Amino acid sequence: MRSKKHSSLQNRAEPYLWILPSVLLMSIFIIVPIGCVFYMAFSKITKAGMVKGFNGIENFAKVLKSRAFGVVLSNTLIWTVVVVVLSTVLGFILALLLNNKFKGRKIARAIIVFPWATTLVIQASAWKFIIDTDYGALNTLLKSLGIISSNVNWTPTPGAFFAWEIACGIFVTIPFVCFTALSGLQSIDQSYYEAATVDGGSYWQQMFHITLPLVKPSLTVATVLNIIYVFNSFPIVWTITKGDPANRTDTLVTYLYKLAFYNGKQGEAAAVSVIGFLILLVCASLYMISTLRKGDE
Amino acid sequence: MIMESRQINRKKALLRVLLYFVVFDICLATLYPYFVMLTTALKSRPEIFAMNGKVFPIKAIWSNFLDIWQKAPMAKYMINSIIIATGSTAIAMVCGIPAAYALARMKFKGQTAFLGFIIVSQMFAPVVLLIGIYKVMQFLKLTNSLLGLIFINAAFNQAFTIWLLRGTFLSISPEMEQAATIDGCNRVQALLRVLLPVAAPGIVTTLIFIFINAWNEYTVALCLISSDTLKPLTVGINIFNGYNMIEWQYLFAASLFAIMPVVILFMSIEKNLTSGLTAGGVKG
Repeated sequence: MRSKKHSSLQNRAEPYLWILPSVLLMSIFIIVPIGCVFYMAFSKITKAGMVKGFNGIENFAKVLKSRAFGVVLSNTLIWTVVVVVLSTVLGFILALLLNNKFKGRKIARAIIVFPWATTLVIQASAWKFIIDTDYGALNTLLKSLGIISSNVNWTPTPGAFFAWEIACGIFVTIPFVCFTALSGLQSIDQSYYEAATVDGGSYWQQMFHITLPLVKPSLTVATVLNIIYVFNSFPIVWTITKGDPANRTDTLVTYLYKLAFYNGKQGEAAAVSVIGFLILLVCASLYMISTLRKGDE
Repeated sequence: MIMESRQINRKKALLRVLLYFVVFDICLATLYPYFVMLTTALKSRPEIFAMNGKVFPIKAIWSNFLDIWQKAPMAKYMINSIIIATGSTAIAMVCGIPAAYALARMKFKGQTAFLGFIIVSQMFAPVVLLIGIYKVMQFLKLTNSLLGLIFINAAFNQAFTIWLLRGTFLSISPEMEQAATIDGCNRVQALLRVLLPVAAPGIVTTLIFIFINAWNEYTVALCLISSDTLKPLTVGINIFNGYNMIEWQYLFAASLFAIMPVVILFMSIEKNLTSGLTAGGVKG
């Protein structure tokens, strides 16, 4: 009797032992830093990084009052929305193309995976070189093809720089969307299409009534993950412009990096982090609600 | 009737040509940055900055690919990258496999909360938490150390590890493990001897994916590592990217060394990875 009770207790505790290493790892290196950031956001912090007591919402007030923050926030939203929307649309179209059987499809897939596997900092360096006005590869290429006769300044304004950064962001995000959509497309049972063709369904009818509904789960996962990644993406902007000139190409993450590690304003940087979480939290809770609801079904 | 089918055939052929044309152009555009890196890595510095530069180098200077090993501690960077990526993968798997196993095979209170916690942890990129991470690392005396980077990479890849492995385990019927348990195996033995061998393809995919993520990580390493001899490739190669002058030929030669191993690895797992990612989502 006694041993039975003992073993049932052991059984109940067992799952927690299995997840313990993972919980510990994430707690120390993710949860504690989150706590630190929140604590610092509400604290007075010296330039040397020493915490000197609670100061309420003063860090937030300073951030919100600064002139740069409005620009940075609108940049971040433009960056996230444009990159996610365009890369989702283009990636899905590319997936539809690659879902056809044709010679060389394997090679095409192998090539298109390149930008996904390449570290962003290197991809961004290449783009920085390509768009340079004086010696950039794009000007060299267009000149040797005879399309232009003298160098074009591709980046006359900070806005133009930012547009190139967005283009680079789309370029590196497309493969991820493409391959998740493609795996969704390839799991669709061909008999649906055969039945639809027999019934005389047109290409577009099949697209809206069969393809899109069945690929939607894959695309949703890809989009939610992309929103998080793109919102938090640091290397592209950092490598190409460092957010200059005068914060005109900064996003939240490059802005907070400079605040924390260049300007010694760790309290304000922490406040920017918290504002960033809150924005993402709205997105993530929508995601969680939909995922958990699916789990209940 | 015959006319009609001929028309349809012609339309099909035309669409096929269009498909080839579009896919071919997309592939060209995708390869363009790599083409630029390769041709630039083979040029001399004056040629890169010349007024009327050419697309291809006048004379390919292969020695650029050798010079970088002298001009920068490239071998050191590469070893650091290998240590960081291998260490991160090992820790992420050792912590992630049991957690994914518990989620796939056991029922316990707080299971939904743990899954929710994993999902939420995904939305915190290290860059947003850098100040906090820096403080924790200072406390643990792990700033400017490879071990510190290994822990951070392992932690931030936990969500993916568990997600992918849970999907893999769920796709495998538990009957074999149950049979093994009846034969006297305990759970650990059943996991190691029965489930893991069957799950090997999914595990390899996960392993490689984490390895690549850790290999490509830039931001945390940039922030935490200050000694040149401890830098991984992604940070180290920027030694050629100075404030006043950029040695493009060396930067790109070094970049190609940093990219190649992971691109090849990635091609090998791409198919399994994408189906794993979405399967985990669908099975939610």
